[in-house]
Amino acid sequence: MNAIAEFEALRRRTLRRQRLESLAGLLIFSVVLLISFQRSQFFSSDIGGDPLGRIGDFLNRMIPDLKGDVLLHDRRTTGSLAWWFYDLPVWLKLGWQTVEMAIVATVLGAVGGLLASFLCARNLMPSATVRFVVRRTLEAIRTLPDLVLALLLVAAFGVGPLAGVITLAVSTMGGLGKLFSEINEEVDPRQLEAMEASGTGLIRKIRYGVIPQVLPNYASYALIRLEGNLAGAAALGIVGAGGIGIELQRAITYTEFDTYLAILLLIVGMIFLIDMASEAIRHRLMGLGEDR
Amino acid sequence: MTRESHAQAHLIAPQAMGANRAGALRRGGVALLALCAFVAMCVDLKLAPDALLAGMDKFGRLAASAFPPSDGGDLPRILKALAETFAMAFAGTVLAAVAALPLGVLGAKTVVAQPVLHFAFRRILDWFRGVPALVWALILVSAFGLGPFGGVIALALADVPSLAKLFSEAIENSDEKPLDGARAAGASPLMVLRYGLAPQVTPVMASQVLFFLESNFRNAAVLGIVGAGGIGFELEERIRIFAFDQVFFIIGLYMICVAALDTLSQQLRRRLA
Repeated sequence: MNAIAEFEALRRRTLRRQRLESLAGLLIFSVVLLISFQRSQFFSSDIGGDPLGRIGDFLNRMIPDLKGDVLLHDRRTTGSLAWWFYDLPVWLKLGWQTVEMAIVATVLGAVGGLLASFLCARNLMPSATVRFVVRRTLEAIRTLPDLVLALLLVAAFGVGPLAGVITLAVSTMGGLGKLFSEINEEVDPRQLEAMEASGTGLIRKIRYGVIPQVLPNYASYALIRLEGNLAGAAALGIVGAGGIGIELQRAITYTEFDTYLAILLLIVGMIFLIDMASEAIRHRLMGLGEDR
Repeated sequence: MTRESHAQAHLIAPQAMGANRAGALRRGGVALLALCAFVAMCVDLKLAPDALLAGMDKFGRLAASAFPPSDGGDLPRILKALAETFAMAFAGTVLAAVAALPLGVLGAKTVVAQPVLHFAFRRILDWFRGVPALVWALILVSAFGLGPFGGVIALALADVPSLAKLFSEAIENSDEKPLDGARAAGASPLMVLRYGLAPQVTPVMASQVLFFLESNFRNAAVLGIVGAGGIGFELEERIRIFAFDQVFFIIGLYMICVAALDTLSQQLRRRLA
């Protein structure tokens, strides 16, 4: 009897503590949320009085006035598809430039990340100081948002894709450097020990002991990064760092909301195509890794 | 080594036993082609070494002018903008989570079993997953005017597709047995969800939302660049007048805040796990 009473008391205490904890959590959450909405003027600004109505109104303005009967006419006919996508050749050219920026930046960033990853892998770099410095540098790069870096680089390198490529390459290096070094540290040490025993230098140890083990993983991380970089490159043009974003900016300047939607759809399609291609390659790479 | 064992070794490891000429040639060809394509892309993007050097030189001078960092005598304004940025991130993430919840339920294979509907729904989410928040912010600011309102909606819009996908995966991966148990005990459908499903998926979802919150803290700074409120606006203004000592100050402060918030959120996530 006594044991049961004790158990009941314990249960009540635990329950009460849990309830109190949840209540406190809920209270903190509500207060932070309230402050956030207040700070971001969500319901209080002169334009935010009726948020849902405004969102609906805005979506309405984005949909173009397409007319069913003239849908396939040329671009001079109001309401046709060609009229909606009136600057398609220019957009496609800039879209391709965006893809090129993403690819070049991913390659450069992956090479940079590769070098950095060897410098901060515990099993390859003996000097703790070098590892620490490289690791902190990569971390700092990852904290800095891409577009802030792009703003700084556009100020230095001028408007154009060069600033965008450097931005993406640097941030790719920050991200991939960390992932690559994690792969490096998971390398099977037996090969490395064998090479050490036969007196091999660091470079050859990396070439024959590490690279064959890690290449498929590297490639698949780099490809995932490429997908992200394409989306990033699409936004870079907004701050003048090259690519399709400049056309988004232009459409906004002339308040052509339907044009904005057209370019947005183009970007979405582009990202989707690259995603599919990259996924196909990644699956092939993984398949190869299993075969061997 | 006997001839027999030699042949066997060939079978087991063809690449190790003797050079594969055709394979090597093909691999070399592919590598050469890839290199050519890469160089062609660089040329097409006009990535010239002299432009790079000139830019580096200028960047070095700009970086040198950033020392010592200074708050420009208007620290309260910077702090206010910082608070606005993090408020936008928090509000946007909460809105995204709230909007993604019903979408996630609809996207779960176990809820909407119809394969065509499920496929179409997932694909639509996939399409919009890639659109960066800044792209949303640009048009929202134009529609709603300058200010953080557009920024909040932009962050929410950018996160909803990914969160919905993750939520529906969490629901799909949940165990059927607790739900059956609740049903067998005679619970109403609502109670089955509350006591069978919610305890399984809530920790997973909460940790995913926290992860997105961290990434939004990091990315909310860029929204101000297009006028959607927060620290980005102050940054862009100062970069435009080349006041790099103040830029450096703001970026440093921002990074410290992000690191602090990251630690906080990571601790919360660890408690959930």
